[in-house]
Amino acid sequence: MKTILEISNLKKSYKGIVALNNINLSINAGEIHGIVGANGAGKTTLMNILFGNPIIHETGGYQGEIIYQGKTISFKNCKEAIDNGIGMVHQEFALIPDMTVGENIKLGREKTFAFTDRLFGRQFSFIDRKHNDESARQTLKQLGISLDPGIKIFDLSINLRQFVEIAREIDRNNLKLLILDEPTAVLNKNDALKFIEILRGMSKRDIGILFISHRLEEVQNICDRVSVLRDGKLVAQYERGEFSINTLARDMIGHIVTKAAAAKRKIPPRPIISFKHFAVEMPGEEIKDLDLSVYEGEIIGLTSLSGHGKLALGYGMMGIYPIRGEVCYADIKLLKMDAKENILQGIYVLPDDRQDLGILADQSVENNIIFTGNQIKNMFRKKSLLPFSGFIDHSQSRKHVDKMIQDFDIKCTSLNQKVKELSGGNQQKVCIARALTVDPRLLFVAEPTRGVDISAKEKILHMLLEINRSRNTTIVIASSELEELKRICDRIAVMVEGRIFKILSPDASDEDFGLALSGEGGVEHEKF
Amino acid sequence: MRINQQVYRFLNSEHLVPAVFIILSFFAWQFSGLSGTFVLNQVITRFIRDGILVLSLIIPVVAGMGLNFAITVGAMAVQTALLIVIGYQVEGIPGIVLVIIMGVFLSALLGYLIGRILNRVKGKEMITTIIIGFLFNSIYQLIFLVGFGTLIDVPNKDIILTRGIGVRNTVDLGMYRDTIDKLWLLKVGGIELPLFMILVVLIFAGFVFYILRTRLGQEVKAIGSNTETSEVLGIDTRMIRIKVMILSTVLAAFGQLAYLQNIGMFDVYTAHLNTGIISCAALLAGGASIKSAKIRHALIGIFLFHTLFIVSPQAGQNLFNNAALGEYFRSFVAYGTIALALIFNVKHENK
Repeated sequence: MKTILEISNLKKSYKGIVALNNINLSINAGEIHGIVGANGAGKTTLMNILFGNPIIHETGGYQGEIIYQGKTISFKNCKEAIDNGIGMVHQEFALIPDMTVGENIKLGREKTFAFTDRLFGRQFSFIDRKHNDESARQTLKQLGISLDPGIKIFDLSINLRQFVEIAREIDRNNLKLLILDEPTAVLNKNDALKFIEILRGMSKRDIGILFISHRLEEVQNICDRVSVLRDGKLVAQYERGEFSINTLARDMIGHIVTKAAAAKRKIPPRPIISFKHFAVEMPGEEIKDLDLSVYEGEIIGLTSLSGHGKLALGYGMMGIYPIRGEVCYADIKLLKMDAKENILQGIYVLPDDRQDLGILADQSVENNIIFTGNQIKNMFRKKSLLPFSGFIDHSQSRKHVDKMIQDFDIKCTSLNQKVKELSGGNQQKVCIARALTVDPRLLFVAEPTRGVDISAKEKILHMLLEINRSRNTTIVIASSELEELKRICDRIAVMVEGRIFKILSPDASDEDFGLALSGEGGVEHEKF
Repeated sequence: MRINQQVYRFLNSEHLVPAVFIILSFFAWQFSGLSGTFVLNQVITRFIRDGILVLSLIIPVVAGMGLNFAITVGAMAVQTALLIVIGYQVEGIPGIVLVIIMGVFLSALLGYLIGRILNRVKGKEMITTIIIGFLFNSIYQLIFLVGFGTLIDVPNKDIILTRGIGVRNTVDLGMYRDTIDKLWLLKVGGIELPLFMILVVLIFAGFVFYILRTRLGQEVKAIGSNTETSEVLGIDTRMIRIKVMILSTVLAAFGQLAYLQNIGMFDVYTAHLNTGIISCAALLAGGASIKSAKIRHALIGIFLFHTLFIVSPQAGQNLFNNAALGEYFRSFVAYGTIALALIFNVKHENK
């Protein structure tokens, strides 16, 4: 097999902090090469170097040699990488939200009219929109998705956005090397399987694939070779069949992870909140008719395939999308969803869109944790004679934040560090800590472990269990990670097409869940 | 507290500002006592006079660079070209062609320069363009107030002040007056429709429409939506922003040429001063915001803004019996529009 990428002695440091140290790696045409590593292991830096992200160049470049298709390369910007046939699927999506699906897939490669091509040159040539949309539709079809290319990206659910992101790269015909950064992190199992099929098809076309994922079973299933990074070093490399999930996990973390698991218990059916004919108009993830009672003190899981509505519940409770129907919370009817009102009443929502709705990226860890408490409940305020003039009582708030950082093992240099500098897992911990500060009775969480490495994942699940057990907080978790839900939930509701299809016990078999998710397996609804 | 959904949507829609303008214009027109025909004729004149200038603002807005107040620089470029051509006494068609060639060349050059400057101040483009406008204004005044007649010898002494240095305040463009403006003039009742010039404005509108639907246009839209993402997608954002400024400045040069030839004379030191403010106000009146602008906003905006612009001084005078007050009304309308539109037209980014 032909080698398309050869990395030798690659070194990169940011201001003296070593991010990558002596990496040697080669990728063959048609190979799916897995890269695993905990957060901070250097995966992102490696990708940034390969994809010519300007940040590498601005921070002093790198040492070592990268040979791509027989030539030594050193890209200064992403355009050079793209022109050379390197593609990348970004974890945080590189999509333009104001543009349509078709425009996003074709951006930079639009088909234009031949006539204006000749007349004004390619850049000033009129775009043949119909042709592009049709071609984008075909590409999406290859992914097994029928989506109208005329829909704008911000009307799509996160799962669908991921597919559009992937479609954009697949659509390129000069593609030689594809870098995938956590491509299946936001996909549920079925979609992920579909996606992996597509990758296999691509590798048959001699495209080299660099596959970065936290889902070790997927890595085990599809990768021809796997490299494990830890603390900027390449600690192990395996051929297919030489490794198990456990060996990978051990190499990544360096120690064995203990898994959170809840003991079984019986929750008395006293509803804390009940939804009747509840609907949330969230585009691409609509809830149509939800009937559900959540019992006081339980952890209830909410799962569904992408686009079937599990994420919309939290957004509905925050008042981000319009709602209909009846919600009864602790014997009060909630007529209007207002985030402030709801927080005062003890309802807190942690959305799945962590970057945009979860964190205040430019603020310190301290401010992030105390923000809601300070703003809504007037906590941590210095006493003052005049209203509205209270300063934040930092001695009080620091004590609180320090305790949170210690309790939840939030990895940060100090409580003044900006949250955007933390890893995804630690950002999520900050979000949970903020929720805890206002001490909610009812907590909605969506995809708490998305894009988070294994050890942080377990910490987060532990946190949720801990909150539930020690404070008797009722928790509703919307997640596509069934295995996690089964470990911590008391009940799991499966949604199909915006309705509750079935409520299962966490002991139910995978088969039962599989059937319920696809909307099969008997129509009898459990009474709830 | 329940807000009616429809009312709420309307308050946040692009129709709000135009609606306010229609209402204000109607009442102002009632008080002004001007005849409908007169107002309409005036508005049509303003449409062909200011149309291209307003259109030149659209592309920078789409590119996320806000309102380009530096279109005054494009205006000054074409005025410089005009003064040189008049100064060297090139007349007739060759004169016009020369003005266009020099104007385009000069404005493209200045547009490139502005683009380079704006690449250094990402996120603060609007205030920077205002200051750039002022800066170039003083350079321009220096050249024509002191340079002409001293460093630069001009054969045509008619445009030079009697002391021999500096250009006169007003230069006559009589040779251009009422030529293409009266081409294909159609009279419907008392209303005069200069079809040729309307067509010219529409052709420029078509040009902007075309540009926004080319490959370049797609990239411009992408940058306007998110610069960092565009960078990752392999778009050379700095180059595209420079191209946007060149296009806008060149269009502004054409716009100012149309404006001057329509007026028929040329206030050397002041003709360009208000182009930025007035054009921006007109665009915003049509429902554009500093984040989104469409061609229809420009075309509708010119009509709405100039209707109010024409009737408000007269209305002010009739209401308060004070002729001086009328002029204040005009600047009130212009700046008021910008303030109003800036407040109301900031759209929900993700909705």
